[in-house]
Order: sequence, then structure tokens, then C-alpha cells
Amino acid sequence: MTTRPRFEDVQVGDPIPVRSKVVRREEVKAYADASGDQNPLHQDDAFAQSVGFPGIIAHGMFTMAHVAKAVTDWIGDPAGLLAMDVQFRAVVFMDETLEAGGEVKAVDPETRRVTVSVWAAVEREGKRVLAVKNSTAEVRLD
Amino acid sequence: MPLNQALTGKEYPPLSMEVDRESVDRFAEAVGENGAMFRDREAARAAGFPEQLAPPTFPTRMQIPVSAAIAADPDLGLDYTRVVHGEQAYEWVRPIHVGDVLTATPRIADIRAKGPLEFLVVESEIRDAAGEVVVRARTTLLVRGAGGGAS
Repeated sequence: MTTRPRFEDVQVGDPIPVRSKVVRREEVKAYADASGDQNPLHQDDAFAQSVGFPGIIAHGMFTMAHVAKAVTDWIGDPAGLLAMDVQFRAVVFMDETLEAGGEVKAVDPETRRVTVSVWAAVEREGKRVLAVKNSTAEVRLD
Repeated sequence: MPLNQALTGKEYPPLSMEVDRESVDRFAEAVGENGAMFRDREAARAAGFPEQLAPPTFPTRMQIPVSAAIAADPDLGLDYTRVVHGEQAYEWVRPIHVGDVLTATPRIADIRAKGPLEFLVVESEIRDAAGEVVVRARTTLLVRGAGGGAS
């Protein structure tokens, strides 16, 4: 973990560090067990194909957890994450590289709250596909 | 078959969960959270928290049964095989930690249709043993129209 950003150091337009991971089948299975979401869409290729996907997809919440981690790694304070509202706009397949990041949209000196727009994306067939967009996080900085 | 919009506002019986260390360890591992406060009680205490912390999205462990309880309501008319997770919001009052006993009261906040899609919005306030709100959760499920393939 790097040094915690102070409120005074943050400006509208600042990016937060991008967090990247390759989505592996074993991790999605581990997430199913850890979260209790055993929907076969995330474990059974035949089932996923029966509803029109080429194979299993990651849980939306798997992706949201990755976005949340990008934000909490940036602020370095587990109690500083106040709210997050995430829209899932595209599915994520196995072995894709999932990136998450964000940009400061507003700062409030009264409350030391910072609003960050957040996103998650994969590269697919040469195109950038947003799995999470129009989404925000609210944090409080020291 | 459309969802029964008359159920908007309906509350369901509360669900409870004790936050045990094994579940927190497993969740932290699954989401790649290696921060010391999420892995170790002493590190969390050194930072002023009472116990090892759960990652922010840990309440998903409660939202799954919350959504399932509502999906199982025969009056709602929900075909769970046509459901995808459209949106998720969390508002954290404080971090959840090992030893918390949490209670969530599921509630249908909204049901609406937009083209071939229906939106089912489920809210729950998650409270601790003292009755204080710890997390507010809102889950929006998208129900694809019958006959429509997944996209």
C-alpha cells in the first residue's frame, strides 16, 4: 500500500491508480464459494451456453469487488469508503484482463468527501469493453 | 409473464448471519484483499478496529439470500433463469468485522418495466446486534423478456 492521499492533495480530474488482474476460472469458483452465489452461469459452461454465452462469466460482484479494491487501495483506509454505486454493463469472460480505475469528479472541503467516477473494462477483439460504467464511489479523506 | 408490481414496498422476514473468521478469510482471499487489517486481528486492533475487518463487498453474502428470499415469493412471478445483476449500491456506515451478528430485512423497493426489460429493485438495511445500521444495500435485478436471448 502506498501513502494515503490527503484531502488537500486531491483535485478534480485526478485519476486513481488502475488495478489489473486476469480473471481465472479458479478465482471465479472461489468467489462463488466465498459469496454463496452458486448460480451455474458462473461455473457451468454448458449452462452458460444454453443462455447464449460462449462460456461462463464472472459474477458482477466479482467485478465490483475488484473496483472496490482499486478505490480502497488508493485511499489506504478501510473506513474511508462511504458508498459505491455500480452499474454492470457488459459481462466478463474467463482469462480476460480486468482493469479497474476511476477519476475524481468532485471534492467537498466541508465534509472532506471525494466523489470518484469508477469503471471496469476488458479488452475484447481489439476493443475496450466497459463492464462497469456510469458508476461512482464516495470516500472520505484525512 | 410480467412481475407483480403490487408487491412494491413488501418486506420479507429478516435474515441473520454471524460474521465468522473463516468466511472473512475466504472472502478476502477470493477478492484478492491482502491488506493486513483484513487478514489479521492484531493489525486491525492496532488501527483502532475491534476485530479483523471484512472487505467492503462482504455483505454480498447477505444479499444473495436476500435476493433469493424475494425470488422465491410465488406471488412475484419471477423466473430466476432470466435474471441478470444490473446494478449494486452499498452505503457503508462502518466496516464489518469478525464477530458482528448482522440482520438484513429484505424489501422490494421498486418494480418497473422498460421495453423488453423489467427492473426489480431490492433494498436491505443491514444492522448489527445493537440494532445500528452498518450497511445499506440496493440490488437491481434485470429480468429479460421471455424468449429473449442473453446479451
